[in-house]
This record gives sequence, structure tokens and C-alpha cells, in this order.
Amino acid sequence: MRILVLGTSSDAGKTVIGAMICRHMARRGLDPVPFKAFNLSLNSYATKDGGEIGMGQTFQAWACGLEPETDMNPVLYKPSGGGRMQMIVGGRPLMDIGNGVEPDREAAVRGIREAYGRLSSAHGCVVCEGSGSPAELNLMSSDLANTGLMRLLGVPAVLVADIERGGAFAAIYGTWRIIPEDVRPLLKGFVINRFRGDASILGDGIRRIEELTGMRCLGVIPYLPLRFPEEDSLSRSEGRLQGEDVRQAFLSNLDELLDAAEAGGFDFRLLEDITDEGQSRRTTTRLTTDE
Amino acid sequence: MDCIKKKVNEELQRGWIGSDLACNYHPCHFTGQDCTFCYCPFYPCHDTDLGEMLVGRRGNEVWSCSDCLFIHRTEVCQFIISEVGRLGVTEAGDPRFMDIFAEAKKRFWHEGSALMVVGATSDAGKSITVAALCRILHRRGYIVAPFKSQNMSLNAKATRMGTEIAMAQTVQAKAAGLKTPDSHMNPILLKPKGDTVSQVVVCGKPYADYDVESYYGEFVPGPGRSIVRENIAFLKRHYDFVLMEGAGSPAEINIYDVDIANMGAAREADADVILVVNVEWGGAFAYALGTIELIPEEDRRRIKGVVFNNVRGDTERFRTGIPEFERLCGVPVIGVIPHGDFVLPSEDSEALRSVATMGHGRCRIAAVRYPRIANFTDLDPLFLEDVTVVFAERPEDLDGADAIVLPGTKNTVQDLLWMESAGIADKVRSLRGKVPIVGICGGYQMMGRELRDPEGIEGGVSRTLPGLGLFDMTTTFGDYSKRVVNSEGRMLVGDGGDITGYELHMGMSEVREEPLFEITNNFDRDRVTDGAVRENEMLYGTYLHGIFDRKPFRTHFLSRITHGGERYDASDSRDYDDILEENLERLADVFESNLDMDAVMRMLGVGE
Repeated sequence: MRILVLGTSSDAGKTVIGAMICRHMARRGLDPVPFKAFNLSLNSYATKDGGEIGMGQTFQAWACGLEPETDMNPVLYKPSGGGRMQMIVGGRPLMDIGNGVEPDREAAVRGIREAYGRLSSAHGCVVCEGSGSPAELNLMSSDLANTGLMRLLGVPAVLVADIERGGAFAAIYGTWRIIPEDVRPLLKGFVINRFRGDASILGDGIRRIEELTGMRCLGVIPYLPLRFPEEDSLSRSEGRLQGEDVRQAFLSNLDELLDAAEAGGFDFRLLEDITDEGQSRRTTTRLTTDE
Repeated sequence: MDCIKKKVNEELQRGWIGSDLACNYHPCHFTGQDCTFCYCPFYPCHDTDLGEMLVGRRGNEVWSCSDCLFIHRTEVCQFIISEVGRLGVTEAGDPRFMDIFAEAKKRFWHEGSALMVVGATSDAGKSITVAALCRILHRRGYIVAPFKSQNMSLNAKATRMGTEIAMAQTVQAKAAGLKTPDSHMNPILLKPKGDTVSQVVVCGKPYADYDVESYYGEFVPGPGRSIVRENIAFLKRHYDFVLMEGAGSPAEINIYDVDIANMGAAREADADVILVVNVEWGGAFAYALGTIELIPEEDRRRIKGVVFNNVRGDTERFRTGIPEFERLCGVPVIGVIPHGDFVLPSEDSEALRSVATMGHGRCRIAAVRYPRIANFTDLDPLFLEDVTVVFAERPEDLDGADAIVLPGTKNTVQDLLWMESAGIADKVRSLRGKVPIVGICGGYQMMGRELRDPEGIEGGVSRTLPGLGLFDMTTTFGDYSKRVVNSEGRMLVGDGGDITGYELHMGMSEVREEPLFEITNNFDRDRVTDGAVRENEMLYGTYLHGIFDRKPFRTHFLSRITHGGERYDASDSRDYDDILEENLERLADVFESNLDMDAVMRMLGVGE
């Protein structure tokens, strides 16, 4: 089983929705593992195997009941000031990029493919997270974590849109339109995040987007004043975080979010079907290869 | 009437003078206005494009043309003077003025055109785009009015006429060089009262309270649409251009039919539309394409350009996506605006919701952030000082504060109850005399001994509750009426410097303290005192919003601060208005060099 969580913008809630999916899968005994092919972040976490990965996958690993490991985040760019970035592959610094120095794309793709392969054979369900928006026309050709990953591994995807700033329908529809046609059929559903108020007011809009795109709405996640780990500097750090053990505190907030999603009618059944589709697709591919 | 005739005769003798920079009231309408005819030779013209008949105090009809800008256009004044000379007219009241008027109107009056700026999200940069366009067009000699049909904001400002409009339109009007922004520019103002209910302010006056359902179900299809239409028509009669700002996203397809803030308003105004997208959060191309394509065909054709705003770093790299974007959506990209830091008033609570502090100065000023905080643009000038403003929501946040500000609130009683239960009220009481404390409007009301709400106007139930007890003062919320005035005056403490400010509040206070200011109301010119002061205890209170804008009170208050054993040095302080002016100029420069202004002029119907 596998799924890719994409966001219509940075900070749309990919990490938290990904963590929520991990938590749900873990509760259902489906043995999930988080994965983000590429991460641009200053906040990294030292893993027990001596590498470093992004804070988001660390949190998602906790949600799965796993220890973070470098395979969950094979390619990491860490800004080091002055337009330069350190490129980390497989938890180890590989090279300095920026200011005219292009990243070693082949090494990145190899790192992603190998790490993903190890995770998917060791676990029941890989919950992947995209990076930024998948519809950046100026970056599309070098994308690794969004359409790049879809093309590389054929992972089915869901789109998360933050409705707090408005324009969520436009963001979902526009992202679907811009995603190249060869991978567009892999976009299966969308999630509206951080909604305040009575979600029934969104009904007509949701149905229209479903008709236009063929994607299905998995649900509307209410805005809750809960704090989660910060992936990068754009995140908004507000809300409640209680308890002495940070890890437990984050997880109890996550449980609260998952309960609220369940109570709000989030379609976890559909989510599992989409995740399963990834499974059957891969199985089909393997059978074909075997023949 | 004879007095006016005499004045007009003097004007005719004097001839064309252009702007009268020596006049104490200059500019009374807009920067660059022509003052040749301070008294209009056509009065009363009875032309309803320029004025209206009002009923006077004694029931008599009076021709009012206070909104007319026609007579302050240079080309009009020069035409009148040349015609007067040609025809040999020397006396006011000469019937030939009717012919001159008819000819002047034919030549120089035309209905203005409208352009609308919508945003793909909140905070897309609509307000600053409109402000920049207002300034650019003002610099090119046009008379421009900002407009936003419906605004949800807790930051309102009192106009000279005693009505209230949103801070954003006030700033845009300043950008347009206008001296008297009025409620036509912001006819519908929604002021959130609780989770779902808003007070609806129409043309600057409280109208009624609505929840979301009744607002869209009753207000919008009822009076809402015609209010928008009439006010746009009014502005088009008086200005060359009406620059309209949308609200939120125009592509909220679930409520599209009841929209009067975005494409609905553009339709009423027959305006072309520019879509602004904030690039900072990512997904800008998708937001732009999705917004345009979700708007129904008949309205979509109005969208004539896309502006990508707030691009950090290398704009060239961003631009590489534009050709494909234009191919997909068919609307040209007319601007890519780099990120810039501009000092402009905070637009709404969204901007402050997520921040714990503002500014990076040495002194720590704690501003209590109540749940219903309002008019926190009062704090903006402090961000320019050597000050860090800490938004205090817990008693600990006041630890180490060098001064305390109690800002305005939409509901004094409810927020005072919150202050008590959060433990902040006691903390403030304990700091009395130790650090300077200033209360503004609702915060000032809280500083008193007692607040009486016999009708339950503020709290829903009749009650009297103790205030912070810092001043000997009692505030009573007697009826559902609101005081909205714009004033100027002087301090009764320190060096007695000049101040300006505006009041927007319910409730009346009986104060048994030394007053802080002497003020003159800009509307009826009444002179009164305002506020309370105890210099020895460093306690200050006032009903006046915007009190930190001008230097005198700000520096007086800051000079009472001791930080690390040293007195605050306010010698570098400047008036906020001057800083705002500089920033509007800079903003206009940035937009002018990164925006296809020829395309904008074409949308406004100005040919090349």
C-alpha cells in the first residue's frame, strides 16, 4: 500500500495530514512508514543510525510507532546562507549547491529509489509526502518529491489545500490542471484543511470540483488550536502543546486531530482504497514484468 | 448669498492661481487641486452629476456640492478664466455662467472608469496593489478613488464627516492624495462580534447585526447589491478612476451567486479585473489558473491581467514558468513584483494572529491581546521605535515589560472579564506606578473604577463590574449608540505638543482626573477635553485612536520608560504620517517599474 500527500502550497498541512494518515494506518495495524523523497528544511533530526532527516518525517515516524531513520528522508537540502545549500543524500552530506552549482540529480534519484525500495519491502504501507506545491511551472522539470515521484514510482496521490487563507477550490482545481497529463490520473482525491465553521456550506463547491476533476473529496479537516512540529520557517507556530515529553504531547495532539477527522466524517475507507490501488497497480506491474 | 458673490467677484478679478499653498486649509480635497475657485461661480448648478439637494436644518432645501471636485480641476479653472475674459464677464451671477458651465461640463466632465484588483487568497497583496496604483495614477495627475464594497476588518478609522471606514481604504485614499476619504469608498463594513455574528456598518453607520446565513440570504440580495451599485456610481461621477479592491478569493464557487465583494462588484462597475497572487506560500501558478478557470465565462472575460506579488530572490527564475502559464490560461501576466518591506498599517487580525512580538527594539512594551482586540493599528507607530511589542495573553507575558498598552476592544466588558480570569488584570494592577501604562478607548474604559452595563449592551446581561481601578472614572454603556469623531488638539502634559486622533466607541465615561488632551472635533469644531493622566504614577488614558501617530504623545509616553537603568531616547522619532508617505512613494516606485502600466491604462480606457 502507498500514498502520496501533496499540498497546494507550502504549509498546506501535508506533514500533519500525512502524520494523521500514518496514525490511522498504525491504529488499523497496517504497518505504515513515512517517506519524503526530498526536503528543504533547516529543522532536522539526528537519527539513531547517525544520519539526519527532516522534522516532519520524524514526527510521522513517531505517529507510526517507529524510530526515525534516514531512509524516510533520502534527499535533504539545508540552506547554509548566501544562496548556498548543503545537499544531503542518505543522511550524509554529498555536496554544496546553489550559486550556479546544480545538484547531482542522478545521485538524488538513486537515493530516493533505493530508500523507497527498502521501506516498501519492510513495511505494509508507505505514506509519502510531497514538497511545496506540485504545480510550480518554473520548477516542474527538476521536481523530485511531487510529480517526479509520481512518475518514478507510480504512487497515487491526494491533494491537501489550506482553506484558511481562502481560494482553496481554485488551488485544488488549478493544481490538478497544471499537473502534467501523464501523471494526472494518479491524483485520486483532495482534503480541505483548517476549516472554521460549518462545513456544509462547502458542499456545492466540493461537488463541483469532484465533477470537474474526477477526484474525490476525502474530507474537511476542522481548524483546531493544536501545535505540531515545525517543518520550516514558514509554518505557523501557534496552539496548544501540553505535557513534559514533547513526543507524547505531539502525538496526543495528533490523536485529537484524528478523532476530530473521524467525527467529521473523513472518508478513511476511501483513503484505504486509494492506498490499496497503489498496491494493486504495483502488483500488476510486477506480474507483467514476471511474464 | 451676497457674501459668496463678493468672494466670486474677487476670484474673477484675481484670475487663475492654481494650488493655493499658502492657504491654511490647503489641500482641502486632494494634493494638486486647483484653488482658483474656492467659491464656485456656478453655485448652485443643480447638476446632479456634481451635487445633490439636501434638506437643511429648518426643513428648507439646500444645494450641496461638498463632494464636487470638478471645480478644482486645473483645466476647468483655466477654461472658466479664459471664457470670462473672452466674454467680458465681471460679475458673479451673470447668466452667461450657465453657458460657460454647460461648455465646461461638455469638455471636461466624463464618467470615470473602474478597475478592480482581486486576490487569489486573503493577504494576496490586493490592498497594497490598489494603494500603489492610486499613487501611480495620482502622480500622473488623475483624481482617483479607492473602493472596497465589503470589508471585514477590526481596524476602522473615523472620517472627517463622523462616519467610519476600513483602515486599508484610508491608506489608499492617502496614496491617491485625497484628504477626505469617506464612506462611499467602503460602503459595507463587517465588524466581527463573535464567532459567526458581525455588525454590518453601511455607509459608515451601524446598520444591523447579521450571521453568515442571514447576511448572504437577506442582506446581500436585498439592500447589499444596490448599496454597492449606488456607491460605485457616485464615485464614478466624481473621480477619473475608481480602483476597486476585492475581498478574499473571487473563486469561492460555493457562494459565488451571492458575491458582492469580487466579480459581483466588478459586474456592477463594469470594471476590468487584475488578479493578484502572493507567490510566497508556493502554488502561485495553480492558484492563479484555478481562480481564473473557476470563474464563470461571462465574468472571466473581465480578467485582463495577472500580477504575481511578493517574489523573493531571483524573479528571473520565477519568470521561466510564465510562458507555459500564459499558454494554459490565456490571460497575460502584467507584473512580477519583488518582495519588499513597506511600513503600512496592519490590515487585519490575520496578520497579527500568529505573531508573538513585533519590532526588534531594546525596550519591551507589552500590548494586551484580548480575544476581541480592535484598532490595533494604533500600535503600528511603535514598531518603528527602538521597541519590541510583545502581545500579552498571559500574566507572564508582562514580566520584564518596560511599559504596558491596553489597546481598543470590540467589547470592553467581555474582554475585561477575560483579563480578570486570565490573571492579567491583577498583574496590571501590580505594575501600577512601576512602569508607564496607557489605555486606549476600550483599554482606557477598563482603567476606571467601574463599568456599568445596565442594559446588557456589552455583556448580554445587566451588570456592573469593577475595572482596573487605575483612574477615578466610571463608564456607562447607556444605549446602543456609538461615538465616531475625528479630532485634533494638544497635550495638556509635557510640552503641550499637537495631537490628532479619532474616537470610535460605545459608552460614556465620567472622569474625575486631570485630563490628558484638549481636542477640537473636526466636524462641528467643539472644543473639549479628553482622557485622564496621573504623571506621578505614569498612567495615561484616552479615547483617541491613532494617538501614537504624531510624535508629541508618542515621545512623551516613551520618555517615561526606563530600560536597563536608562531613559528611553525618543529624539529620533518621526511622525508616522511622514513615514507612511515615504513608503507609499517607494511602493509606487516598485510597482511602476515591475508592472505593465500601459496594460493598466488600457484597462482604464485610456488609449495610448
